Amino acid sequence: MEQPYGGRPWPASGPGGGVAGANRRLSFCRLTRYIVLLCFAKVLKAVGLFESYDLLKVVHLVQFIFVMQLGSAVFMVLFQKPFSSGKVITKRQWIKIFKHAVVGCIISLLWFFGLTLCGPLRTLLLFEHSDVVVLSLLSVLFTSSGGGPAKTRGAAFFIIAVICLLLFDNDDLMAKIAEHPEGHHDSALTHVLYTIIAFLGVADHKSKVESWSSLIMPFVTVIFFVVILDFYVESICSVKMEASTCARYGSFLIFISALLFGNFWTHPITDQLRAMNKPPHHESTEHVLSGGVVVSAVFFVLSANILSSPSRKGQKGTLIGYSPEGTPLYNFMGDALQQSSQSLPRFIKESLKQILEEYDSRQIFYFLCLNLAFTFVELFYGVWTNSLGLISDGFHMLFDCSALVMGLFAALMTRWKATRIFSYGYGRVEILSGFINGLFLMVIAFFVFMESVARLVDPPDIDTNMLTPVSVGGLIVNLVGICAFSHAHSHGASRGGCPAAHDHSHSHHGHSHGHSHSDHGHSHGHSHGSSGGGMNTNMRGVFLHVLADTLGSVGVIVSTIFIQQFGWLIADPLCSLFIATLIFLSVIPLLKDACQVLLLRIPPEQEKDLHAALEKIQKIEGVISYRDPHFWCHSATVVAGTIHVQVVSDVMEQRIVQQVTAILKDAGVNNLTVQVEKEAYFQHMSGLSTGFQDVLAMTQQLESMKYYKDGTYIM
Amino acid sequence: MLLNLFRKISSWFRSILADKTSRNSSPSSASTVFAFVELLYGVWSNSLGLISDSFHMFFDCTALLAGLAASVISKWRSNDAFSYGYVRAEVLAGFVNGLFLIFTAFFIFSEGVERALEPPDVHHERLLPVSILGFIVNLIGIFVFQHGGHGHSHGSGHEHSHSLFNGGLSHGHSHGDHGHGHEHKHSHGHSHGHSHSHGHSHGQDYCHGVFLHIVADTLGSIGVIISALLMQNYGLMIADPICSMLIALLIGVSIVPLLKESIGILMQRTPPSLENALPQCYQRVQQLQGVYSLHDPHFWTLCTDVYIGTLKLLVAPDADGRWILSQTHNIFTQAGVRQLYIQIDVAAM
Repeated sequence: MEQPYGGRPWPASGPGGGVAGANRRLSFCRLTRYIVLLCFAKVLKAVGLFESYDLLKVVHLVQFIFVMQLGSAVFMVLFQKPFSSGKVITKRQWIKIFKHAVVGCIISLLWFFGLTLCGPLRTLLLFEHSDVVVLSLLSVLFTSSGGGPAKTRGAAFFIIAVICLLLFDNDDLMAKIAEHPEGHHDSALTHVLYTIIAFLGVADHKSKVESWSSLIMPFVTVIFFVVILDFYVESICSVKMEASTCARYGSFLIFISALLFGNFWTHPITDQLRAMNKPPHHESTEHVLSGGVVVSAVFFVLSANILSSPSRKGQKGTLIGYSPEGTPLYNFMGDALQQSSQSLPRFIKESLKQILEEYDSRQIFYFLCLNLAFTFVELFYGVWTNSLGLISDGFHMLFDCSALVMGLFAALMTRWKATRIFSYGYGRVEILSGFINGLFLMVIAFFVFMESVARLVDPPDIDTNMLTPVSVGGLIVNLVGICAFSHAHSHGASRGGCPAAHDHSHSHHGHSHGHSHSDHGHSHGHSHGSSGGGMNTNMRGVFLHVLADTLGSVGVIVSTIFIQQFGWLIADPLCSLFIATLIFLSVIPLLKDACQVLLLRIPPEQEKDLHAALEKIQKIEGVISYRDPHFWCHSATVVAGTIHVQVVSDVMEQRIVQQVTAILKDAGVNNLTVQVEKEAYFQHMSGLSTGFQDVLAMTQQLESMKYYKDGTYIM
Repeated sequence: MLLNLFRKISSWFRSILADKTSRNSSPSSASTVFAFVELLYGVWSNSLGLISDSFHMFFDCTALLAGLAASVISKWRSNDAFSYGYVRAEVLAGFVNGLFLIFTAFFIFSEGVERALEPPDVHHERLLPVSILGFIVNLIGIFVFQHGGHGHSHGSGHEHSHSLFNGGLSHGHSHGDHGHGHEHKHSHGHSHGHSHSHGHSHGQDYCHGVFLHIVADTLGSIGVIISALLMQNYGLMIADPICSMLIALLIGVSIVPLLKESIGILMQRTPPSLENALPQCYQRVQQLQGVYSLHDPHFWTLCTDVYIGTLKLLVAPDADGRWILSQTHNIFTQAGVRQLYIQIDVAAM
């Protein structure tokens, strides 16, 4: 085999010569020039590969490679002059060169063999990765020091792209049926298998070459574009620019141009560009673009971009100002940097750990998994049997899973630490999530109600064959959920919670909701849930949702039985009506509680304690009165309170604060602020912050107390 | 009869809420009444289409009703249980409305996708006038907005009002031809136009968002007009679903900031308008004579423009508590916090 790359590397000196003194702008201009050059070369390389694909249709693979390597070797020998100039090559170097030649030969054989089988576009996508990208990919995958989360992300993108290309790319079925006697191959995966088998006999489905003379021109183009131009331009660019920049632009350009050519190669306009105008155009449907290819190309571009970017550690800082001398000062915030670039896998791992830590979220998570599994089974079965009803039902369930996801997310978020912005912590997320769940349940109940009223007037004829297995499956899943959640209930009761949230001892048991899709004659119900007394609002909302779905499927089954056995078509709307009402009623307490919390009501079950506590405060020695007592339930565990206490002027403020805090802590307030005011302070306060009414009331109060004030009105 | 009933109930509403807010919501009463009449008539004439359509309208009205109810409730006096009064009902109503709007946008979007795959036969005769009307009303909305007033546009039937804070912001969304859907419920063309109005009571921060919202709506109604023209003149049926999807996206995008804001308030977030001012205030308080440190600062929004703060100060044993208290109140009042609770803890000797 010939040895095309045997010569010494291209000399580093460009026409510009000394770059050292050039300023930034000039170097940028030069960079632009090289980028344009690179762009040009890459596009031409893509052209060359497409061209060689056409060539390979008439020339045998081995012949093609031989001609190509020979041509490029001749060219290289002429230009690089490896034998006449440079150092004498030692024996060891000769051995190395020989090894290189053999390996290069095998690689190019495989490369062009892939080209014949997969088409130029896919070959380009898989093969044309620069060494920088491949190296960093390998280092991410097989070494522990991958270079940070960004690189991991890049590697993930790369793998996704390969998977996309292998699995989701339905490479031209028609052409393959014609080509391969075994039948068509769906994906490139089977394609590769076929390749391996066929390779043993070096099978090649090529016609014989009629005239070599007509192929000279295409061969020259291919050799020049694919090997020589690319080699020179790449070596220039990687010297002039950084290797990583070069790799980034290069891979981007070649993928884009490959996509463009993949789309337009068989277009009549590009026919004029092609060096060989071959009459048979029946293969124009061959190796066309598909969604999988486009997606994987996008992912390849992304991953090449990420992987080839130099790992910059500690280079990024935020400008905080200028020193007196005028040099910029940077702030290297290690934490912030770490936070912003937290990798996705690590994030998932950590949040999974968090989820499994707590009982509530663990329950929700397991049930979510179960539900999703059921949904996907349903979806896949639906796709397989091509049943529209099953598919739409599956999507419906997927949508309903969002309630679970939200509950899970809220359960996670609740445990976040308080920040400067959210100074009370994120405990309220739980209540909001319960509120939203309740609200949507109400909407669903409303729609079910509405539809069932409409159907009560005119009961439609329902096809009952389909729905039973699905609804039984849904029922089983939901029953499992309810079992799990009622188990959770016994655990959850021990957890403290906002009193407001669960002093209502209404039982949620036995409520459910179902939404039946009457259009395709089947309805489904699914449930998620947790029950009753000891739960926080979030869990209650999720539980209600599940329970509602369970009874929905029960209702569906019951109405199916009625319809099948007795032919009572009216049973279906009646069931829906009943279920909708039940949901509605069971959601109301949840909504009411959540609203009360959100409206900053005094926690109802502590109301009495608080009133007693206020009376006690009034009786503390030295306390004249209190005003503006506000207590509210912030979240399950935080009850916040604020109060102003007016005292006579000769008591210790600290003592009063301690006493008031102790009294209110007994009443359950754990986040308290007491403002102690001596009497002269009233007027100041009233002038500052309260309205006219309050000022009036307070003045009257003061007058009735016959206190004389030395206070001056500040405002 | 319809007009009489409408007038009666409308005036009833007005008498209850004799302020700017309620006037904004009068279209809601109109559509509620319309829904009622439709329901009654539907039951009477046993028309399924009318009944289901009226239910649909009821759902659309819930948002408006929520806003209306909230503006009533927020006027209630505070009592023992609700020590802050019911002012937060407004925020809550804004939140609910935002949620419903997102929900609606999602449904419109999914319906749009469905129709894009399989464009149905659309009755587009009345679409153009309705959409032009919507556009005009939106334009009026923009101009009136600049005067701090409010405007309203509704195609034919349904509007969702979206009222965050005093119900000043209302957002209507009209399904063009819903009124005549007797045989096939939703299989006829619908156009969406929505407009919002905006009262003066909002702080500066909201203005931007609201204006954006109105602009988004106007773009939406321009889209409706264009799609109506395309359908009429060129028979491009795909224009309708694309337009619906676009509008759904616009609704979603314009709702998100408002939703975020109301969630922030409900979660007792530190008010964004105070975020920058607070560190300076802390610094000034800590520079007061005798103040050792400041801890547990909580600042939150009760309702629009009413900020409440609590903080604890650790002071020297010999410091003048009264003076520190009044100075701290002064500092935070300047920053805009009207209700402040300061607990002064004396450091141990």
